[in-house]
Amino acid sequence: MNRKRAIIFNTAIICSFFLVFLRLADLMIFNHERLSEKAEQQHIKIEDMQVRRGMIFDRRGREFALNLELESLYCDPENFLYNKEDITKLASIISKEPEVIISKIPGEGRFAWVERKLEPVTAERVRKLDIKGLGFVPEAKRFYPKEELASHIIGAVGIDNQALEGIELKYDKYLKTAGGKVFFGRDAAGRILSSGVDIESKGNNLVLTIDEVLQRIVEKELDKAILKWRAKAATAIMMDPFTGEILALANRPAYNPNRTGVASNPEKRNRAITDCYEPGSTFKTIIGVAALEEKIVNPDTLFDVSEGSIKVGGKVIRDVHKNEIITFMEVIQKSSNVGSIMIGLKLGKDRIYKYSKLLGIGEKTGIDLPGEVSGWIHPPERWSGTSIGAISIGQEVAMTPLQMLRVYSVVANGGFLVRPHIVSEIVSPDGNVIMSFEGKDINRVISEKTAVRFKEILKRVVGEGGTGRSASVNGNEVAGKTGTAQIVNPETRRYSKEKYVSSFVGFIPADNPKLAIIVVIYEPKGQIYGGVVAAPVFREIANQALSYLNVPMEDDFLQKPAILVSR
Amino acid sequence: MFRIDRRLIKNFDWITISVVILISVIGILTIYSATRPISDEGHSGFYLKQIAWLILGLVALLFIISFDYIWLSRFSLTFYIIGIILLLAVFISGKIGTGAQRWLSLGFISFQPSEFFKLIYIIMLAQYLSAVKSQIDAISLLRAFFLITFLPFILLVKQPDLGTALIVLTIFASLILAKGLYKKVAILFVIIALISLPFLGNIFWGGLKDYQKSRIAAFIEPEMDPTGIGYHLNQSKITVGSGKFFGKGYLQGTQGPFRFLPEKHTDFIFAVFAEEWGFFGSSFLLILYLILILRGLDTAKKARDDFGRLLALGITFMFLIYSFINIGMTLGLMPVVGIPLPFISYGGTAILSNLIAIGILINIRIRRLELFH
Repeated sequence: MNRKRAIIFNTAIICSFFLVFLRLADLMIFNHERLSEKAEQQHIKIEDMQVRRGMIFDRRGREFALNLELESLYCDPENFLYNKEDITKLASIISKEPEVIISKIPGEGRFAWVERKLEPVTAERVRKLDIKGLGFVPEAKRFYPKEELASHIIGAVGIDNQALEGIELKYDKYLKTAGGKVFFGRDAAGRILSSGVDIESKGNNLVLTIDEVLQRIVEKELDKAILKWRAKAATAIMMDPFTGEILALANRPAYNPNRTGVASNPEKRNRAITDCYEPGSTFKTIIGVAALEEKIVNPDTLFDVSEGSIKVGGKVIRDVHKNEIITFMEVIQKSSNVGSIMIGLKLGKDRIYKYSKLLGIGEKTGIDLPGEVSGWIHPPERWSGTSIGAISIGQEVAMTPLQMLRVYSVVANGGFLVRPHIVSEIVSPDGNVIMSFEGKDINRVISEKTAVRFKEILKRVVGEGGTGRSASVNGNEVAGKTGTAQIVNPETRRYSKEKYVSSFVGFIPADNPKLAIIVVIYEPKGQIYGGVVAAPVFREIANQALSYLNVPMEDDFLQKPAILVSR
Repeated sequence: MFRIDRRLIKNFDWITISVVILISVIGILTIYSATRPISDEGHSGFYLKQIAWLILGLVALLFIISFDYIWLSRFSLTFYIIGIILLLAVFISGKIGTGAQRWLSLGFISFQPSEFFKLIYIIMLAQYLSAVKSQIDAISLLRAFFLITFLPFILLVKQPDLGTALIVLTIFASLILAKGLYKKVAILFVIIALISLPFLGNIFWGGLKDYQKSRIAAFIEPEMDPTGIGYHLNQSKITVGSGKFFGKGYLQGTQGPFRFLPEKHTDFIFAVFAEEWGFFGSSFLLILYLILILRGLDTAKKARDDFGRLLALGITFMFLIYSFINIGMTLGLMPVVGIPLPFISYGGTAILSNLIAIGILINIRIRRLELFH
């Protein structure tokens, strides 16, 4: 090789190395940001990871939803060698048929679940088999220690901890985030790899307004009522009438959120907010409040209902019990249909509609539970000739039990429409309160004078000669109203002769209300009247609740110091 | 058998052997990192096998040094015939590697005859060209091509081992140039090359499997199909680019062990190294290769005879082409050609044959002053 050629060779080699250096600098220094960002996008995922869902507590810190630390078995098909003996052993440990296990292992790919959420003891036994290509990923299983209790409030999650119902669904975003981004390393097959502190991070905890003891009281009494009246369903809600805090909310039938798979749709329905019913007589409060507020009547205004019936738009509506000339107060107390319609006719379509809207009919209450419906009341221009009569006695309107309870809370709290809510605080895992829901959205809708005057009327309902006599509670005065409404048969589109909704809604103690309670019994057998079916349930709930809350009896001469509901 | 001469130790090429061992250790560390487990499964034994092959290779290297390289020239034809037979044997009892028949199984061990063949080919060609007394005339050129180069080229293309086939062709061209041609022959050479280019290209392109064709297509337009064949290229660029100045640190790289980077411990191992050691680490490795190659050229220059000179040049070119193509492919400078990075990529046959080649280089250097043999 001559000199010239050697120089050419050397130069070519050094130039080609120089080219590689340039390219290295290009990729590693000038394009570093762009490329490493791409790399991060590939192996760091934020949204797909599962943090441990936050826990859910009642107002006194009792656990309603927590997590069990379990282990899920997966298979890496590329590293897995089929061995009949192994499969048989595995099958007996996890109590599955060997064929079922084999069917879960694909021929290729890098990842497949074999069995999710095994108990630690079971996982340990599987680990001892030491089968190549099988591995475990820690996973949390949601557990509801109170089982059926408050199931319609708490809701449930599925196998992948995806929210399905209730608070779990409504507050999913908060329950599964830990305040700030959490990063997870993942491989090309999408497996979560870094299993350090990150995977153990927890979501925010929720503190509810409900109280386990009150919830138990309500549910126990609903169960009794269902049994006694062989009713199809039932709902009861207990609320603080001043703040809108839900203290208890229950429906029958109910389900166990630990076993959502076997729960039927009727069992999962949160009737308190998702089902409308025609309220019947309890709606007369809206008519009465409107009439007082508009100064059309005062409590002593007389109404002649001696005919026992009234004709509206060609349709005759009757009273259940015939009365003579009675006062406005007695119209409500005795729940006279004829009297109510007379008041309704005095008010007129527009004012009935206006006050209905003011008191929240046909609007969602805004409670923080999923699936709430708004119900309806038609605008006056769509009313038929008979509508004003029907609406005056609580037909041709559809309301949820919660909406009705809110109307009675307006009377209880002196004229304010509250926003019902069920979560009082969102607390970060390290104990900081992220959000607090006290006293939001409270608006005056009627004057205090009207509220106070109507409260006196509602007290009479439960007093001597009222329809809600059996709701009266020893020691404390009750204010409330009974309701009995026919159910429209969806086939005939006429009111059914056998199917009724019986209800009682009120508050206690009447002059210093602590609790507003509604009880709705759907399709009771044997008896239909709210005063007979629902009012005793109200009384039982109120009695036990007040003694739990240590509310002093109003006629107690000892006058013990009041210990109020702790917030 | 190991008759180690005092003079041999005195003249021993410590630079080359140090650089090679340093690169090999880097290789083992990088294989360890690239194949390290990411969950609690056990470590795959790749790095242990590589250590075993490295030790075996060093023994072979010492063995090669122990006798004069002139013996290689005397046995070159025998080696060549054995090499061709082995390549043919791959067809008969070839076992499927990565979509290509490259392996020959001897029951207890599998190896790639093509890894050894490139070395045998260099010895054969050096022997033939050194026998030509003056510059290369037309007859010698045609003989060198058709008798020595054409058959193995076809066999390698058919395997298909695109990488080795290309290297055989490149070594042929470079050794011819190094030997020197008559001007007329050189012109003829260029003309014949140009005329036969479509023909050879056709054999070449026809011998390509679909995956190889799409690799070349992907090189031209890598972003077109990021999940398909362009995936290799993009992933490798992303991995290298993550490194920056000083890298993420040893055992801190993610793209390789997390399986985003394909062929992480074989063809694309440079990317894993670059991610962990950054621009400075990669430059250091490049400089090690540059030292190895410049030292090889120096050995060729100082060789005592034309056979030694051409043999040293052939081996040096081989390392140059291997490292340049492999790193170039990793950095997206050339199409994805499945060839390993010498001394770094995992592969027993490759490290063994590469160490034997280094042994030959050192052998030539040690005996540069011996006039009689």
